[in-house]
Amino acid sequence: MDGEAKSGMQCVEFEAWLAEALDATLPGSTLAAFEAHQQACPACAAMYREAAAGMHWLNGLEDVEPPRHLVHNILAQTIGSVPEASAQAAPAGEGWFAKLKARVAPVFAPVMTPRFAMSFGMAFFSITMLANIAGFRVGDLKHVDLSAKGLQKTYYSTEARVVRYYENIRLVYEIESRVRDLRRAATPEKQEENTPKSPDKKTGSQEQDRKYQNYSRDESQPLLASCPAVVEQESPQARLNRRTV
Amino acid sequence: MDDHQAVNALVRRCVAGDAAAWQEIVQQYHRRIYNICYRFSGSPDDASDLTQEVFIKVYRTLSSFDGTRAAFMTWVTTVTRNLLVDHFRKGKYDRITDSLEATPGNQEDGLTVGEQLEDHSPSPEEQVQSQQTRKMVQTALQQLSPELREAVILRDLQDMDYKEIALVLKIPEGTVKSRINRGRTELARLLQRNYRQVI
Repeated sequence: MDGEAKSGMQCVEFEAWLAEALDATLPGSTLAAFEAHQQACPACAAMYREAAAGMHWLNGLEDVEPPRHLVHNILAQTIGSVPEASAQAAPAGEGWFAKLKARVAPVFAPVMTPRFAMSFGMAFFSITMLANIAGFRVGDLKHVDLSAKGLQKTYYSTEARVVRYYENIRLVYEIESRVRDLRRAATPEKQEENTPKSPDKKTGSQEQDRKYQNYSRDESQPLLASCPAVVEQESPQARLNRRTV
Repeated sequence: MDDHQAVNALVRRCVAGDAAAWQEIVQQYHRRIYNICYRFSGSPDDASDLTQEVFIKVYRTLSSFDGTRAAFMTWVTTVTRNLLVDHFRKGKYDRITDSLEATPGNQEDGLTVGEQLEDHSPSPEEQVQSQQTRKMVQTALQQLSPELREAVILRDLQDMDYKEIALVLKIPEGTVKSRINRGRTELARLLQRNYRQVI
């Protein structure tokens, strides 16, 4: 209040003139009153100092450089394509690399972004991890014969391996056996018609059943050894041995 | 032909479909728009995205520009400011109101805002020039409220006069000055709190 009385300027007025005072655009008479108030009022003097310091810090900030491809991206998003004039030609006297770079850079501008780099990195990491799990090693490539003959040979051997693998897989066997069973089940009458009319002759399946029966018997059943049916099925080697004896 | 007329002619050519004119406009103003966005958002990536959005909006509404009412730069800055406010309202760029003891992202082992604002270099003159100091001022700038921040950015970083700022912000000139004063004072206090020796 003392300050206001002495200078003839109120604190509110001081604040209103503060911006101009910092810009050094105050007219003479106002400047004198402003300075007088500043001398007399500690609160306004402190405010002036702080505002001046803030302005000083802000003026210390320099312009930041925009990203290199910002203009290209803006043009691509607005007019869809970059006009010929915007193709940044390399200044004369620069090397072929700089010229090539100047021509190629705009083409790859849309993908040369941090987001794309991150996506590409993740994809590369995933593929590398899968390749490692699958047992693929980049170092193995140097042993590969890349000549035409070598490639042909590799092709045929791979094809043969695939076919062999396919034919050997258990699944195929199982499917084949199922199909066979289904066919057999679907045509029972025909099987009956095909069976021989004489009851003496035994069918193949019956013989097989008997064979299984024999296999199921162990040596603890000696009586069966003298069974004529078993004798009939004596192997040629056993028959030969018996004759020799 | 002065600058004002030249820019208006450029805009007319652009509205007529001249791609080269639009390219010239982009070349001429992208740096300024990018800097406003960067100072407001504090992030280079966000600033880049926002700058593109600004130009897309400018391109779409270019026919509505009236050269007799305002300068093209003021109009573009108004578009930029409106977009920044929209984004701010969506909550994308919130004011950093954390305590100076808090760490960004609440990382326990990260530097606190106070530590980030601390300055360990020996002299104030060198500090003003250093990159670290600029980062600290930018961090302090982010702590200002959006109203004060936009006012000081337009005045102290973009060198716009009070009348232009009043047009852009759609507030009276007296309010502009008041906001600028308060913005500068608050910024100085934020910095002063951490390195009194510099002030």
